[in-house]
Amino acid sequence: MKLDVRGEVCPFPMMKAVEAMGKLKGSEEVVVITDHSPCLETIPPQAPKYGYEVDIKETGKPEWTITLIPKGELNEK
Amino acid sequence: MMQRIQNMNNKLMAILVLIGILILAYFMNQTGDQSLVYIWFIGCFVGFVLQRSRFCFASAFRDLFLFGTSKTLKGILIGLLVATIGFVIIMSKEIPFPSFGGVPGQAHILPLGLSTIVGGISFGFGMVISGGCVSGSLYRLAEGYIASAVTLFGIMIGLALLFFSWNWWWDRIISYEPQIWLPEYLGYGFSLVITLLILFGLFVLVIWIESRSSISFPDLKENEFNDTFKSRLETIFHSIFVRGWSPLIGGAMLGGLGVLLYMVHMPLGVTGELGRWVTITVSTIGITLPELKGLSDLGGCSGQSSESGIFGHTFAVTVGVIAGSLFAAMGSHEFKLRFPREKRRYIQALIGGIIMGYGAGLAIGCTIGAFFSSIPSLSLSGWLFGISLAIGAFFGVKIIKKLA
Repeated sequence: MKLDVRGEVCPFPMMKAVEAMGKLKGSEEVVVITDHSPCLETIPPQAPKYGYEVDIKETGKPEWTITLIPKGELNEK
Repeated sequence: MMQRIQNMNNKLMAILVLIGILILAYFMNQTGDQSLVYIWFIGCFVGFVLQRSRFCFASAFRDLFLFGTSKTLKGILIGLLVATIGFVIIMSKEIPFPSFGGVPGQAHILPLGLSTIVGGISFGFGMVISGGCVSGSLYRLAEGYIASAVTLFGIMIGLALLFFSWNWWWDRIISYEPQIWLPEYLGYGFSLVITLLILFGLFVLVIWIESRSSISFPDLKENEFNDTFKSRLETIFHSIFVRGWSPLIGGAMLGGLGVLLYMVHMPLGVTGELGRWVTITVSTIGITLPELKGLSDLGGCSGQSSESGIFGHTFAVTVGVIAGSLFAAMGSHEFKLRFPREKRRYIQALIGGIIMGYGAGLAIGCTIGAFFSSIPSLSLSGWLFGISLAIGAFFGVKIIKKLA
């Protein structure tokens, strides 16, 4: 699932990310694209609660892609 | 290639902002007011720290209710701890024997009562709806967030509304409210120990709430450590100017800068200047503001805002915060003009701003002036404002959940 939240500010990106993780329950990864740097602090701590691991890549200036990967898949990559 | 040019532009812009800061400092020096230049640099530094540590008071109160975690709240508590110790040292030099009466002139010892509660609740509610408090909107403006500009406009409308209703509040409520300064009753030592103990207790409480909400902070990959002199320098440069700081470090530094600013003249506050702009704008339009009874004697953010001329002390702080965060945002490539995608966010920013501005006027300060500078002044009003902020934020979260 892809969440393009560019232009959105706190707390909406993380609310949407949390909602997505809660809905998917680890069945699918969630890709969050954001230009709001506080998301890098706020979204990752929510991931383990829903059984997700986090991978952050800087994909622009300022833009980041936060990939929330269902636990277990991270090592296989 | 395009990316490279973009990077160059950002660095160039950062250097231009820095030059601008120095040029303004030169003109401030020409006014003959020595402390103005110091205040300007401290203001810029505050803006730099706010942007680098993404220090958001709104998130500090909101995220505890929303997600059961708040790193920034822990940063605030550390900052209050640092500032309280510094403030006590400064205040005890000015008033060595507090029990004999008399209070330190510049300390933020504000009226305690219904105005604090109503001001705090509306401020807390407004900042959660709009997405940032006064200081937060100032540095986000410098990062290019258009919604923050709308919020600041809302804050100024809110302040104007408060100015027109101030005398009503003064006659019925504020003139009867006491200004309670703890050392007058408890002495410095006891006031200090109690304040530090409460701050420590709250810190533990936040950790307890975090542990209950099963939040964990995953270790993210850091840059590979490379052991040459050049790469060490680059790593340090990167960690200061590019990578975001921990809010805990940001909080501690803000506390320290608050102490420095108080040493120069007055504790940190950013709303006073906005109030001054409102006064100037309103009188330029040709509307006469009523004479605000008692306000200039109350201190806090309002006491300074009656200065004339462009380069007042409040100007140096508030504009300094914008300039410092603009420099920080350019240097870290985090500047970008950002327009909200959903139109309703503009309405949220405006209405939240108005409610927040009214609250800031009523409480004579924002999350900085009436809270972050008031608790270290050992004023009871700071604590009441803080509790009211939390209550307002709690109700704001209820609304926000529906707006997601």
